[in-house]
Amino acid sequence: MYKIMMFTGGVYKFHELKEIIGDIGGFVLQEMVMQTETMMHLAFPEEEERRIRDKAKELGGKLKDLPLAGAEIMIVVPSLGKHHAVYPMCDIAEFLRRKGAITNMIGLARGVGKRIAQMTVQEKAIIEECDAAVFVLGDFKECIEEKVPKLCEPLEVPYMIVGGPPDIDLPHYVGGVGRRTRRMNRKADLDKLEEMTDAFQTVLGEKIKEIEEDPLAASPLFIKEMIEMTLPPKAGEEFPVVIHLDGLRVKVEEEDAGKLGEVEVGKRKLSEISEIKKSFYEGYLVKIQTEAETGGIF
Amino acid sequence: MEVKVEGGDEFANASYAKICDDVFRDIGLRSNIDRVYMYCNPAEHVFIISVEIGRAPSPVKVWDVTMREGDTLRITDEKYAAKLLALMWDKYGERVQQISRLVIGLELKEEEIAKISDLIVYDPREDLNTRILDGIDRILPEGARVRYPIPSAKGITIIASENPIAEEWKEKAKRAIRDVASREGGVW
Repeated sequence: MYKIMMFTGGVYKFHELKEIIGDIGGFVLQEMVMQTETMMHLAFPEEEERRIRDKAKELGGKLKDLPLAGAEIMIVVPSLGKHHAVYPMCDIAEFLRRKGAITNMIGLARGVGKRIAQMTVQEKAIIEECDAAVFVLGDFKECIEEKVPKLCEPLEVPYMIVGGPPDIDLPHYVGGVGRRTRRMNRKADLDKLEEMTDAFQTVLGEKIKEIEEDPLAASPLFIKEMIEMTLPPKAGEEFPVVIHLDGLRVKVEEEDAGKLGEVEVGKRKLSEISEIKKSFYEGYLVKIQTEAETGGIF
Repeated sequence: MEVKVEGGDEFANASYAKICDDVFRDIGLRSNIDRVYMYCNPAEHVFIISVEIGRAPSPVKVWDVTMREGDTLRITDEKYAAKLLALMWDKYGERVQQISRLVIGLELKEEEIAKISDLIVYDPREDLNTRILDGIDRILPEGARVRYPIPSAKGITIIASENPIAEEWKEKAKRAIRDVASREGGVW
């Protein structure tokens, strides 16, 4: 299993760090050089952490653990009106991003109210494209208890609920947030957000464990590298490949979509080891099958 | 501005009291509202909000936002520039010209200039109700789209729900407001 960390530091000799990552079979997921500062998201085999830490120390840089890296998360709010956006949904999204996740946000078309709250089939499909969902609900216990079976429970992906009342007996519920009119930047708010990300790690941990028990034919990180070699990003395209826990979202144009299945992964083609379908939301979704189904790729 | 929220659990009451406070501050009405009373019943999904309007701000006149410099007026508060120019052009036409961003040139007789001081640029009372209703709309839960207003001499009360509002609730709302008014000494 790969460990994903963020390196920040100067540009001096940082190519040496990249060389080490290449040598130990790791990947550079994201790289940003800002004049004399660099920021890199690195993925490397867990057992090689010592070597990376030593090198980072030698270069005078910092390494930060990204526990949610490699997951795309959907933040779901009942509507995009003033009542639910921008606080606290943006604070929550921001905090999850700091822990390495890629976040999207969705405001439901008819998610407001108690009895009248509902989720359309298309909204459900869009949320299920991501690895996990975070529902940001309001202040009333009765409303949350009635909405959860309608909005959250039908989902087939892990989810967490963030709401107001501190004491609701629901799985994966974090209370104490509720409706906000100000940014969550006080000490108590930041502690609450930390608590929320910790709870979210447990939610996501269950899915990671499931994947580890029945491993995928190839790691999404490896496939990302292969796709980028065949279909290099065009000018103006930013982060064209988003990693999921069990696949990828590839933002390519329609004319290149055919080439996606032809990408060589080891001795197999991508279309042989995964299901590729168009996303409702953006790009194409590649769902990698398990090694048990497809056999080895080498 | 006094805020009182009842009916929900402890967390919801505290949270809505803060929302009331912040919303009315954001739209700049905190000093014009004496009291806000809110009653939440999430079990039946009924929300009552009652606002008692206090002292309305006095109208803004031309001399409040400008300074005379010979044959020109210098705008001291740019917030009112558009309204002031519209008013002056409406009244004096081409004899008033905008020389630069904050300077207005006047080709008026002395007695006309003297009269300018009485012109009202903006009367906050005109849109006070609209602004209060906008604030109430931001406070009430978004799902409660069925509304029933109860106007009174000194303010407004709104019942909101996602279900049709029963007569029983209209009565309850009126009674609750009367109770609060007598308890707190308000004049709803």
